[in-house]
Amino acid sequence: MNDMTPVNRKLGTMQDLKISARGVQVYYGDNHAIKDVSVDIAHKTVTAFIGPSGCGKSTFLRCINRMNDTIDVARVEGDILIDGEDIYDPKVDPVQLRAKVGMVFQKPNPFPKSIYDNVAYGPKIHGLARNKAELDEIVEKSLRKAALWNEAKDRLNAPGTGLSGGQQQRLCIARAIATAPEVLLMDEPCSALDPIATAQVEELIDELRQSFSVVIVTHSMQQAARVSQKTAFFHLGNLVEYDDTDKIFTNPQDSRTESYISGRIG
Amino acid sequence: MTDATSNAPAIKGTASSLLTESPLMKKRNAAEARFRMYGVIALCIGLGFLVFLAVSILRNGIPAFTQTVVSVEFTLTQEQFDEAESKMLKTAAYTEIFVNGVTAQLQERGLDVPFDGGTIERLMGKVGGDLRSFYRDNPEAIGVPTTFELPAASRVERYLQGNLTREMVVDGRFLEAADLDVVDALAEAGIITSAFDWNFITGADTGVDNPGGAGIGVSVIGSFFMMLVVLVLSLPIGVAASIYLEEFAPRNRFTDLIEVNISNLAAVPSIVFGILGLAVFIQFAHLPQSAPLVGGLVLTLMTLPTIVISTRAALKAVPPSIRDAALGVGASKMQAVFHHVLPLAMPGILTGTIIGLAQALGETAPLLLIGMVGYVAREYPDGFASGLLDPNSAMPAQIYTWAARSDEAFFEKAWGGIIVLLLFLLTMNLIAILLRRKFERRW
Repeated sequence: MNDMTPVNRKLGTMQDLKISARGVQVYYGDNHAIKDVSVDIAHKTVTAFIGPSGCGKSTFLRCINRMNDTIDVARVEGDILIDGEDIYDPKVDPVQLRAKVGMVFQKPNPFPKSIYDNVAYGPKIHGLARNKAELDEIVEKSLRKAALWNEAKDRLNAPGTGLSGGQQQRLCIARAIATAPEVLLMDEPCSALDPIATAQVEELIDELRQSFSVVIVTHSMQQAARVSQKTAFFHLGNLVEYDDTDKIFTNPQDSRTESYISGRIG
Repeated sequence: MTDATSNAPAIKGTASSLLTESPLMKKRNAAEARFRMYGVIALCIGLGFLVFLAVSILRNGIPAFTQTVVSVEFTLTQEQFDEAESKMLKTAAYTEIFVNGVTAQLQERGLDVPFDGGTIERLMGKVGGDLRSFYRDNPEAIGVPTTFELPAASRVERYLQGNLTREMVVDGRFLEAADLDVVDALAEAGIITSAFDWNFITGADTGVDNPGGAGIGVSVIGSFFMMLVVLVLSLPIGVAASIYLEEFAPRNRFTDLIEVNISNLAAVPSIVFGILGLAVFIQFAHLPQSAPLVGGLVLTLMTLPTIVISTRAALKAVPPSIRDAALGVGASKMQAVFHHVLPLAMPGILTGTIIGLAQALGETAPLLLIGMVGYVAREYPDGFASGLLDPNSAMPAQIYTWAARSDEAFFEKAWGGIIVLLLFLLTMNLIAILLRRKFERRW
């Protein structure tokens, strides 16, 4: 098993550009967490953010669905466009944005409700289903996409918190895709999972690429190499290098990137 | 760095065998054993006090629930009725009829103790008046055997309980030593019996001269209406305020100030709230005095800080990942709070509420100032509005009033009132525990 060898990948061209960030700065109080980051994320690709702890990759990810708004001291400058629309425009309601940009968190965090209610919650509040039958269909489709249907179909009324860690994370993915988002943000989705569950989630990410553009933050370079087509390397709040994944891992342009992927820093 | 042991400095000194205890270990173990012992001692002292309290409350309070009654079956003929009604001293005539009846019944059982109307009056109060009003109200009962259950005087009760001995009796207006022979005879004939006193639970307070008839029922209703006001006002206001402060309000100097003040308010003596209630609700807003509505409003002010503090603690204890999860699927802040955070915080909120309500239930001091102490509640409210607005008393206030009276029989009533108060509290707690069970979820 040679994890570091990138697989062959077909890249979307820059025509189907999904997210485009220009000069993004993030401050936590006096702390300048993200320094002038500009990045273009293509549609229907998996983009990985890698870098040492505290380099700002999660912070940047949370800018894309404005989850940083919930932190009082956080301040975001610069432009982030999704489909050409500035998501930090005062007219944009972050709640509406988050229906379009789903998120999966580091720690599995299912609601303390039944598996069914976990998945159905998003469609319910966004009014995506007109009746119970439609809702059932959405739940089934989401659970199938998240590769959880076979394990969960007989226990849809069991509490989601009773599942194993890997199942819980897949439930969270099902919950995120149930609202039919266009972008899926994943903040270290496998850091709390064992290797088998990790493999399942990674397989899932690869499948999700068919319908969404996926942005994944990861500590594991192997994971980035395995699942992503594009990789961005962050260091101390700067975007150091952003390119095709195989290029980053085989022929990095920046010496810091090289040091990091060869294990000398970070 | 292949061999980690080679570079490690040798640690010398401590005991080499694991089977012997080193002196330091001995000291540490001894300290731990001592600490555990302190804990057990503290617990025992606490339990001791609790048992002492429970026993003394029960021992003193249980007699309040029984009543000594004189139960006589008695027939009044039409001639006797007409004769008594034609006399000048009508009630005295009825008393005489009653005395004759009871004497006859005693003689039937071979007990010959002569007594007169004065004795009956000392033992049972004004029986003649009671009889007369009964037959005037129920003329169909004339000529039909009717059983009368008449409460005995508190001194008779104490004599039968053994709290009053013959040596203590000084002949006088209230009791003569000879009367006790009559009591003995009546007890032997089974005419004086002890019965469960429903009147104590359902009845109203009486004047200072009739401790036997005093009941706590009306003030239980008063307390109930007050608790209703407290619950209806303080729970929504307190929870809403906490949610706003905890989830929505910006953190700045102003909200910090509010936070400090809420913590301080929880420690303000309750009588301060009483004087505030007097000034605002009665003198300014002209709400009626002694009304459970005003009492409830004052106690709401007192309970709010407790509820706010415990609700905020409960909200803080909900893991932030739940909020993230809800916001992440596009729930608005309010949906995140009401659909996910609040249900998880519910058990904590209920605990705080019940602590606040329990405090409010037992509070007497603020009621002093709005006139609920000292008011003798004699009538049941005749509806919801009158329950809120008519003058009433509350359980702790009623207990305080009884304890302050000179007749020792009221003392017993006060202890009994405490039992009722505690039962009321237990019921409230039970409801809260059941609700908690319902809301409790794992996460």
